[in-house]
Order: sequence, then structure tokens, then C-alpha cells
Amino acid sequence: MKLLSQLLHNRKAVVGLVILTLIILVAIFAPWLTEYSPVKRVGRPHQAPSPEHWLGTTRLGHDVFSRLIHGARVSLAVGFGAGLLITVIGTVLGIIAGYKGGVIDEIINFFTNMVLVVPNLPLLLVLASFIGQASPLVIAIILGFTSWAWGVRVTRSETLSLRQRDFVKSAEMLGEPAWRIMALEIFPNLISIVGINFIGSVIFAVITEATLEFLGLGDPNTVSWGIMLYNAQNASALSVGAWWDLLSPCLALALLGLGLALINFAIDEIANPRLRTGGMLNRWTRMVRVGEGKL
Amino acid sequence: MSQPVLSIRHLTIDYIGAETDFSAVRDVSFDIAPGEFFGLAGESGCGKSTIAFAVSRLHKPPALIRSGSEILVNGRDVLDLDEEALRAFRWREVAMVFQSAMNSLNPVLTIEAQFHDVLRAHSRISRAQARERAAELLELVDISPDRLSAYPHQCSGGMRQRVVIAICLALNPKLLIMDEPTTALDVVVQREILQRIDVLRRKLGFSVLFITHDLGLMVQVSDRIGIMLEGELVEVNDAQTIYRHPQHTYTQRLWASMPRLQGEQIAREALP
Amino acid sequence: MAFLLRRLAFYLAAFMAAATINFFLPRMMPGDPIEIMFASAGSELSLENLNALKLTFGFIDAPMPQQYLAYLKSVFTGDLGVSIKYFPLPVTELLGRALVWTLGLMGLATVVSFALGSLLGVMAAWRRGTRFDSAVSLAAIFSSSVPAVVVSLIVLFVFGYQLGWFPNGYAADPMLDPALDWAYVSSVIYHGTLPMLTLVIVLTGGFAVTMRNNMINLLGEDYIVMGRAKGLAESRVMLWYAARNALLPTVSSLAIAIGTVLGGSLITEVVFNYPGLGNTLYQAILARDYPVIQGQLLIMTGAMLLANLAVDLSYVLLDPRLKRA
Repeated sequence: MKLLSQLLHNRKAVVGLVILTLIILVAIFAPWLTEYSPVKRVGRPHQAPSPEHWLGTTRLGHDVFSRLIHGARVSLAVGFGAGLLITVIGTVLGIIAGYKGGVIDEIINFFTNMVLVVPNLPLLLVLASFIGQASPLVIAIILGFTSWAWGVRVTRSETLSLRQRDFVKSAEMLGEPAWRIMALEIFPNLISIVGINFIGSVIFAVITEATLEFLGLGDPNTVSWGIMLYNAQNASALSVGAWWDLLSPCLALALLGLGLALINFAIDEIANPRLRTGGMLNRWTRMVRVGEGKL
Repeated sequence: MSQPVLSIRHLTIDYIGAETDFSAVRDVSFDIAPGEFFGLAGESGCGKSTIAFAVSRLHKPPALIRSGSEILVNGRDVLDLDEEALRAFRWREVAMVFQSAMNSLNPVLTIEAQFHDVLRAHSRISRAQARERAAELLELVDISPDRLSAYPHQCSGGMRQRVVIAICLALNPKLLIMDEPTTALDVVVQREILQRIDVLRRKLGFSVLFITHDLGLMVQVSDRIGIMLEGELVEVNDAQTIYRHPQHTYTQRLWASMPRLQGEQIAREALP
Repeated sequence: MAFLLRRLAFYLAAFMAAATINFFLPRMMPGDPIEIMFASAGSELSLENLNALKLTFGFIDAPMPQQYLAYLKSVFTGDLGVSIKYFPLPVTELLGRALVWTLGLMGLATVVSFALGSLLGVMAAWRRGTRFDSAVSLAAIFSSSVPAVVVSLIVLFVFGYQLGWFPNGYAADPMLDPALDWAYVSSVIYHGTLPMLTLVIVLTGGFAVTMRNNMINLLGEDYIVMGRAKGLAESRVMLWYAARNALLPTVSSLAIAIGTVLGGSLITEVVFNYPGLGNTLYQAILARDYPVIQGQLLIMTGAMLLANLAVDLSYVLLDPRLKRA
């Protein structure tokens, strides 16, 4: 696909994809990358990083590195799962609202704006506190069903402008049913918007899952980066000087976020060439410098 | 003729791409005399607007004016001016009316503010004096001074067009460049604007570089006309000659492609 | 005017939605809603106090619609119940005290980040394609993709623990009494530095990118070129022709960003033990103090809506096209 090949030529996208792929691979091959189980006590509490325990141990004597790479699975799963759910709901509602217009649009728009204006995190906190110890699956589900609003807005406005285009009008005149037009004519032109929306949702889901778990609303028996933060915080890791316990999941989250954000920025640049940064003017700058011309 | 108001010599402008360049203007040379109405005609993309922008050096990268080009305004090479001199030069000697006057006015400033900032940028002038001058200029284009406190969106399209012309004349420029100013307007309004420009021209003595793709319109109002094709100036002559005895094949084809309302039917010539 | 009235009506509806969510949540969970809501009270509340609390939250002996109305009545008369953990402190008072701290921190951080971010965005867009632009864009991506929880923990670690330049928690020195004297105020500033720093790091990037993109989108407009053609100083064109117009969509995106700001400051407060809404909520969640938890949803929604309204107002003031002709 054209977008894919353009992505591969964009430096930011390549770096982002490399980071993402690395994390995914580490997550998949986790059991083979470490001899320790993430939930067994394998060392003394709060041991500093050493050749045996690359990232040290937690207060309960668990190997931090093992927990980190096993935790990657959960964080990635929730991230992509919830991200997918958010994107699907948002895109479907957005296309329908934009294409159908009229009452349907009014209704969808009204609810979307309402969901947008109620602050996200407080709402999630209230939900999660009622649910109790939310497993990653539950977290993914509530994220999916509360966070679609932004995607609807963006998709709807793009659909609105596409709606007026000739190829849509001719499809209508040919008598194509609405669902076909939406799925086969409009949707393919929204790929970059949907892509950005998807990756943005994944970032959001990863961050929010970690946040919820950090606050103690997750299931403490899960092995995920958020729970690692929660455990470290409860163990007062920073005050006792066990920085590895806390910083490992911190840096892992930062790295994943960075990788995804780079990909997103790259997609945005490709879709909106005007927003591109750097690089294109090199030849021009050189020519001006040697005096071949001026502005 | 006495020193030309505008003298373009070997103007070459390229758009520099990542690997290849696009040649927008190729070795174009022509002069405009003081008080002359000069039309530059050609189809879209032939480079006429590129030339217009170059006179005030308004281009942004990746445009590049190749060395060897000369743009002389009243004898001074614009391309040699440093930043501060260029800033002072702009609007004072050359003013420009853009394609859609609707969008040429800053939506968040009042009409008065848009006179004030240009007057202030070029001279020490008090607020009151600026307001007086603005009122004077608006009168030139038949707009009442009470419109000064209005915002652009509160004026009609035609009025905005006239406001832009008034702002253009604020510093008594010697050359007014008009880049397709009438394209989006109907023929009646077109005529009015061009008549007004003509009246002002006789009164204030400026030259006009008029850019359009409408050759028929241009012949009616211009003293001399230049025809551009793909970056090159293929023919320059006075308007009547361009009309009656076009020399270049392209010019001939341009005329042939225009349907006439009267006269015998002419055989259609195929255009490439 | 009509525009503002419509927005007001909409915000009212949104507030009602939050109240409705509060109403239905305990009733939708498996089990007895009353038990869930007041489980944390245990045997500590007297029967009459418990009954009063039940009444506030609409747990009356009547069909659902009436329960709903009873709850709405409580909400709109400002009765958000009483905290179970801090009995008999009314929820409004508890959250009210915390709100002051959060508004201070969040408000200041938003203003600083918006100003800083917008300025960086304006300059990056104006110098598009240069190294400055690339640097700003990259920094912005980075700072906005790292979760607030991570930024606050790292800031705490580096500046609080490792370098020891700033205190590790609280809004002010716990030994001092709150007073409008320099000792207290300076302590507040000192303690507030790290949370502020965290929030500014988290928020500035987003504002910078938004402003940059908005600016770039209008850089090709005719009035910008005319501004330059008029021989105006570059700074004037950049600020009064470009940025001033790009400000409009940026301000409207501010309204949406407030939700993120709120979320970010919640976390920052928890990490820095700052006595704002975020921390209060956190403690309430730990204690399953549902009256407080529900109350905070309403207060936070209310705050969001007010902030949105403020943004709408400033939008009307900023865009001459919205003023009556």
C-alpha cells in the first residue's frame, strides 16, 4: 500500500516502527528471554541491578526484568485491544453521522459532545472504583466504551467533506446502497485519519491503563507495567532508594509512547505534506549558500 | 522611453524539489514605462503570478530566483536590497492586489488598523493623521469613512476589493501589480473596477502590471501586452497589434480558441 | 449571544449526564446498591445518619424515576452528601478545600503551558523547515507521548530525590500554618515547583503542535502575503496576521485539552502528595468512600464545563466574526 511505502521512507516512522517492533518481539518471546518467573520470589527484596538480576528485584523479591518483559504483553494487549475498540466505534459512528446527516447526525453529535465534555479520567476512576479490582480485560472494555468520542469528531468532519465529492455522488446516482458507499467509497479515503486515530487511541489506552493500575484500581495479581508502578509506589521504592523498581516500568512506558507517537506524527506528515518538518529544503539551502540564487 | 518603472531582465525562477527542479519562469525580459498599463496574459501555470510575486520578492522556499536575473524598479535592482531596504521598498514603490480581495484583508483587524499599520511601518505618522489619510484614500474608491471601524467580514465582496485598492495607493506607489483581480467577479463588476483603476491611474500617474488569463478583457484595457507560455515570454507588443496581427503561433491559437459572437464561422484549429 | 446560550444549555445537559451516571452506576453493579455505596461505613454510622445519606443519594422507598428526581434535587441544591471516611464532613466542603489547590496548580500550569507552547508553535511554524522547527516538533512529540504518571515520577526522582533541590511532597511545609505571609507563600511556591514543572512538561508539547499546525494551515492565505507585501515588520506579520488568526482554532482546542489537563494534574497530585482534588479522590478510592467519589465526578464535570464556557466566551471576544455585525 502506498501509505506503507511512504511510511518506510520517513525517518520518524522508521524509528518508531523499530521501537514498536522491538517491544512487541520482546513481549512475545518473554518466557525465552529470562530464566525467572515474573511471579516467583527469586531473590532478596530490593536488590540493586546485578549480572543475575539485570534490573534488580522488587520488594517481594521478584525479578524486575522478568516482570517488565512479561508485563509488556499485558500493556500491549490492552493498548491495541482497547485502541482497536475505540477506533472501530469512533470510525463507524463518525462515518454514519457524517454521511447520513440529519437527525442521525444530530443525535450522534449530541452524545459525542456530551461524552467529550465529561472529563475522561474522573469518569474512569468512578467506574473503576465501582467495579473494584479491574482486570486488564475489564479495563480495556471500559476504555473502549468511554473513549471513542474524539474519533467520532475527527472522522465525521472528514466524512462531511468527502461526502460532497464527485465519486460519492456518482455512486449514489448509480443506486449503490448506503452501507456500501460508506464502507467501500468513503472509508478507503479515510485510512490515514483512521490510522492516526488508531495509534492515538493505543497511546491513550496504554497510558490510561497504567494510570488506573497505578492508582490501585487494577488487579494486583496481574503482571503489567501499571501494576509494577503501583507495587513500587506502595513499596516506597524512591524513598528507600530502590529506583530500578520504579524507573523500569516508567522508562518502558515512555519508550512505547515515544515509538507510537513517532509513527503517528509520521502518518500526519504524509497525510498533510504541509506539516512536514525538515529535510526537503536541503538542496534549496545549498543552492542559496553557493550563490546560485536567492528568494 | 524615460527610465522604465519596471525593468525585468533575464528573470529565471525555479522551484527546487528534492531531486528535480521545476522551471517556472525562463529568461523573461520586459519593461513597463511610467503610466503604462501592461498586461501579462497566459494560461494557468505559465508563470505570470510567479513573476508578480518576484517583483516584491514575496516568494518562499522552495522558489529560487536564479542569479543573473535582474528586477529593476525605478532603476534600483530589487534583488540587491538587504532586508531592511527591502521592507522599506515594499508598498512604497510597488503595491499589489491579489487574486481574491476577499481574503486579502486580515479578518481580525479593522479596516482602519489595516491602513494604519502600513502607514506606520513606512513613516512617522500619528494615529489621527493616519485616520485622515485613510479616509482620503477610501474616498478615492467611493467608500464612506465611517467604514473605517468595520471589520472585513462586515463589508461586501466588492467593497473589500475597493478597500484593498485604496490600501494599495496609500504610499503613492509607482507600480500597481494586479494578479487576476477580476477573475472571481462577474463582467459588470469587472468593468467597474477596471474603469476605476483607469481613472485613478490618470489621476495619480502609476503604472499597472495586470495579470490575467482573459486575453479579450486585457486587449480592451492595456497599452501593451505580453503573452506567456510555459514560463517563457513568447510575444510582447502593443495591444492593437496583439489583437490584429498576432505574430506568435500560440497567440494566434489563443485568439482562435475564443468563440466570437459576431462574424462568420471560423474553422476550428486543433490545439495541441 | 445566541451562541453562548446554546452552549450554556448544552453544558447543563452534560452536567445532568454526569449526575445520571452517578445515579445509575451503583444500581447497575451486581449486588445491593445500598450495600455497595455505604459498605465502607461499616458499623460506624448511626442509623439516622445512614438514612440521611441514603436519602441524599436517592435511595428512597419509591420507584426508580422518583429516586432519580430525589437525587437530582440533592445535586441541584448543593447537597452532595457526607464523606464516610471523614464523617461528618460534607462532601462539598471536603472537595471545596481541595479544589482551591487544584485550581491554583492546574490553572497556573495551563496558562504557562498554553503561552509557552503557543509561542514555540508560532516560531516553529514561521521558521518551518529549519532545525528549530524540527527540534520543537520532536520535543513536542516526546513530551506529549509520555504519560503524566511517568513524567511526574521521573521529575520527583531526579529533582526530589537525586538532586534534592525540591521537597518531595505536600503543598507547603507541614510545620507552617496557612497564612498570607511570606513564609507560607514562599513555602507554597517552593513545594509547588515540581508539580508545576511536571504539568508544564506534559502540556506544552500538545499546545505547541496545535499552534504550529494551525499556523501552517493559514500561512498560504492571501492576507499573510499581503501583510508581507505591505512592508510590515516580520514580527508584526507573524504575530498580528498569522498568530492572531491561528489563535482562534488553538483556543477552541484548549477547551478539549482541559480534560487532559485535569487528568494529568490528578496524577501529579497523587505522586507529589499535593492536597488537591486528585489526591482527595485517590484517598477516597482507597477507602471506597463513594459519596466523595461520586461528588468529585460532579465537581470535576462542573469545573470542566465552566472552563469550557470560559473558553467559549474568550472565543467570542477573540473572533470579530462572531460579534454582532
